[in-house]
Amino acid sequence: MSLGRPKNPLWLHAALISFTLLTIYPVLWVLALAFSGQQSVGIVDLPKDPAFLDRLRGVLPWPAQFSLKNFVDVMTEQPFGRWLLNSVIVSLLTTALGVFLACTAAYAFSRFRFPGRDQGMLAFLVSQMFPGTLMLIPLFIIIVKWLGLGNTFWGLIIVYATTAIPFCVWMLKGYFDTIPVDIEESARIDGASPQTIFFRIILPLAKPAIAITALFSFMTAWNEFILASVFMESEANYTAPVGLRFFVGGFSSQWGFFAAGSVIVSLPVVILFMYLQKYLVSGLTAGSVK
Amino acid sequence: MDWIKRSASLGLGVALAFVLAASAWLHGGVGGDLAAEQRQREAILLANAMVASLAGADAPAAARRLQRWKSEHAALESARLVVGRELVASTLADDAAPRGLQREEKPLFDLANELRAAGETNVGEGAVRKKTIRVDGGRSGPVTVSVPYRVDGKVEGMLQAVVRPGLPEAAPSRADRAAASAALPLGLLAAAVVLGAFLRVNVERRFDIGRGVALLALLAAGLFYQHNRLGQMTEGIAASEGHAARLQAAAAATFVGAGGTAPADAASPWDTDAYGRPLGLVASDGRALPKTGAALDSHVRFLQRSFWALLAAGAGLLLFFVQGFAARTAAALAAHRVAYAYIAPAMIGMLVLVFFPFFYGIALAFTDTTLFNEQQPFRERWIGLGNFFAILGDFDIVKTTVEGTVVNYQNFYWTLMMTVIWTVTNVTVGVTFGFLLALALNTEGFKGKTVYRVLLILPWAIPNYITALVWRGMFHPQFGVINQFLQMLGLEPVRWFDGVVSSFMTGLVTNGWLSFPFMMVVILGALQSIPRDMYEAAEVEGATRWQQFKRITLPLLRPTLVPAVVLSVVWTFNMFNIIFLVSGGEPGGANEILITKAYKIAFEQYQYAYAAAYSTVIFIILLAYGYFQTRVTRATESY
Repeated sequence: MSLGRPKNPLWLHAALISFTLLTIYPVLWVLALAFSGQQSVGIVDLPKDPAFLDRLRGVLPWPAQFSLKNFVDVMTEQPFGRWLLNSVIVSLLTTALGVFLACTAAYAFSRFRFPGRDQGMLAFLVSQMFPGTLMLIPLFIIIVKWLGLGNTFWGLIIVYATTAIPFCVWMLKGYFDTIPVDIEESARIDGASPQTIFFRIILPLAKPAIAITALFSFMTAWNEFILASVFMESEANYTAPVGLRFFVGGFSSQWGFFAAGSVIVSLPVVILFMYLQKYLVSGLTAGSVK
Repeated sequence: MDWIKRSASLGLGVALAFVLAASAWLHGGVGGDLAAEQRQREAILLANAMVASLAGADAPAAARRLQRWKSEHAALESARLVVGRELVASTLADDAAPRGLQREEKPLFDLANELRAAGETNVGEGAVRKKTIRVDGGRSGPVTVSVPYRVDGKVEGMLQAVVRPGLPEAAPSRADRAAASAALPLGLLAAAVVLGAFLRVNVERRFDIGRGVALLALLAAGLFYQHNRLGQMTEGIAASEGHAARLQAAAAATFVGAGGTAPADAASPWDTDAYGRPLGLVASDGRALPKTGAALDSHVRFLQRSFWALLAAGAGLLLFFVQGFAARTAAALAAHRVAYAYIAPAMIGMLVLVFFPFFYGIALAFTDTTLFNEQQPFRERWIGLGNFFAILGDFDIVKTTVEGTVVNYQNFYWTLMMTVIWTVTNVTVGVTFGFLLALALNTEGFKGKTVYRVLLILPWAIPNYITALVWRGMFHPQFGVINQFLQMLGLEPVRWFDGVVSSFMTGLVTNGWLSFPFMMVVILGALQSIPRDMYEAAEVEGATRWQQFKRITLPLLRPTLVPAVVLSVVWTFNMFNIIFLVSGGEPGGANEILITKAYKIAFEQYQYAYAAAYSTVIFIILLAYGYFQTRVTRATESY
């Protein structure tokens, strides 16, 4: 900001370092629990009358001994592997269905002028404001009572896919708009059908945007917790989020399993997020800075 | 094609078909309900008469009397008398009564106890609150009815009868009746189509005589049909009244034959509702009493009201066609069919799983649906604005009792206040920390910016349900790392989830940790887009840093900051996971926010309708917020 002052004031670094440590402490805490090889919520077992140093050891995110036991046990002894697989299936199918639906709709919104186009776009936007619990009860009645899809993957998949549609459509439409129409017109002159143009020309050109949309759909399904806990009744069909809560919710406290499972579940999402966050942010702020 | 466009045939046909079909469907539903009620009523009548005839009989006498009932009433399939753990008498040969109940017959024992408890509750309270008669079935197949068996006014057991009531209309075969009931609407429809063919409609003109005639024809045909169906229904009711009266007379005869003295009451004591109260429709000897069914009135009123709504919808449909909208819609569909084909899959999905649930949820808010009555038809659950009055009209927040002042944490306004406090504090924390960090990281030539940024963004990247559960573990009152830390400093450990304020703090800390990275990233992005030469120019002019911040940074951040704050207000307002998973609203629901409260009402208390009304109120609050926010933003934008 200013020209004459020092560029790296020491106090600023000190403040930032301490704040950063505070910020990543919970992450380190989970890692310590995950690698500690035991189930309790404390990082180390404290003696009956702990001294200051014992307390300090209980606070520092460093396990008494390192062990991969929690990771091995959670995948083999607990049904977590199964839950993880459920989550993978649900998320992948959600992604496939959601991206397909979003691509076709976004293409129409971008390329065709037809009655109802503006209203349709607006309806997609407004639907984002509907509160979750208001939708939860009717969705429960529709999916579980009417369609009989409770406790199945398809019930979750179709709900997740439609939930993700509005964001994906808006995102993809914006990208389709940037692809020159000339390409399509020359293809049309060469005798290509609308389907050929869409599948052979537009979709390959929109690959980057489709990748972002796909990852967004995937993360929607991967991180969803409430619907899954309402829809999935039998333990075998839990998704990973419901399963993680199962470890530490209510009266069970298998914190080691929880920590190991959390690390496994979070790792892919965190990596994807770090890679993607600049796109998400630009999408969020693009509309505001006119 | 052109002929169809010019005549009113298609419009009149479609509109009338809609009115007739919907009306017939409603009548069918109500008729089915009435028939079921009638079957249940006759079963109750028979069972009451039977159990009355058993008074003062020992086991063999009871068995003989039951056999007599069975032989004289063809509708009675079987009857069993249960007293305590004994099956005293039964008309089923397989039962080999009298004997003790077996293990798999425990439901019978439980049911008898339930009926006895219900009867005792009613006597004890001096009111009629619990049903003393249990009826299962009625729509089709046999009706199972269980009535309490009294000895000297005390409930000792129950009589369970399986009855297959024969209804009076059984005479003509099903197909004949279906043909007869279909003849009238089809005739009306054909007449309407023929009439429509003669009516010329000129779409270009705003109104012409043809359209008026078509509208009148629709009204007339609809009214005629409705009148006809109502007449049929009244006849059917009269027939079933007659049937019930005959059954009463026959039952009285059997009762006297079985050794009882004919009841002298004016109204039959056997023809009761499920609470055991006489309906007062037939006399003890089987004559019909002048009182007409109040239940019928409500059915008729419902049918009439919904019929007017149907007619209005039919008229709308007719106008849609004759005003030329239908033709234009069809033309648009044909002209843009490729576009609509591309939209259709996503749109259908959104309609079925987003828009329909939304409106269904709002409709649900006007009913009294719970887990237990959701099988009933929608119209019987309709209660209008009752839920909203119950939610918004309850001002019973603070109670003063002998033990002192108690706050009613279940009250809507308490929860609303907590939600507002929750939202304001969280957004303030998020924006403050986000702002400070962004300013720090934006310092020119600052080393290690990327490392800080990646580490500080971490809380945003982790799925928030995991974050919530992690913090719940760290706040653990006994072994949690935060209490360990406090003890390390020589402080007392805090029982985090036992106090209203401390429990609130757990949510605030967790959500603050979760939400500052978003603000930081957004603000940092906006800060970096401010041209540096603006500050240089200000410096040359001699502006202080505070002046630069106030006159350059803040105004240029505004366009980014406002939507980000709005977004984070809405997110925080609806931040279900943190409250639900960290404190769970402890203690005693004091820290519940509106959205978690609605969830608990729905899925822990199973009050679906009440929860839907709660959610509707939440939606309205958010809409109002959005509206005022945009107005305020617009008003202050000019400076």
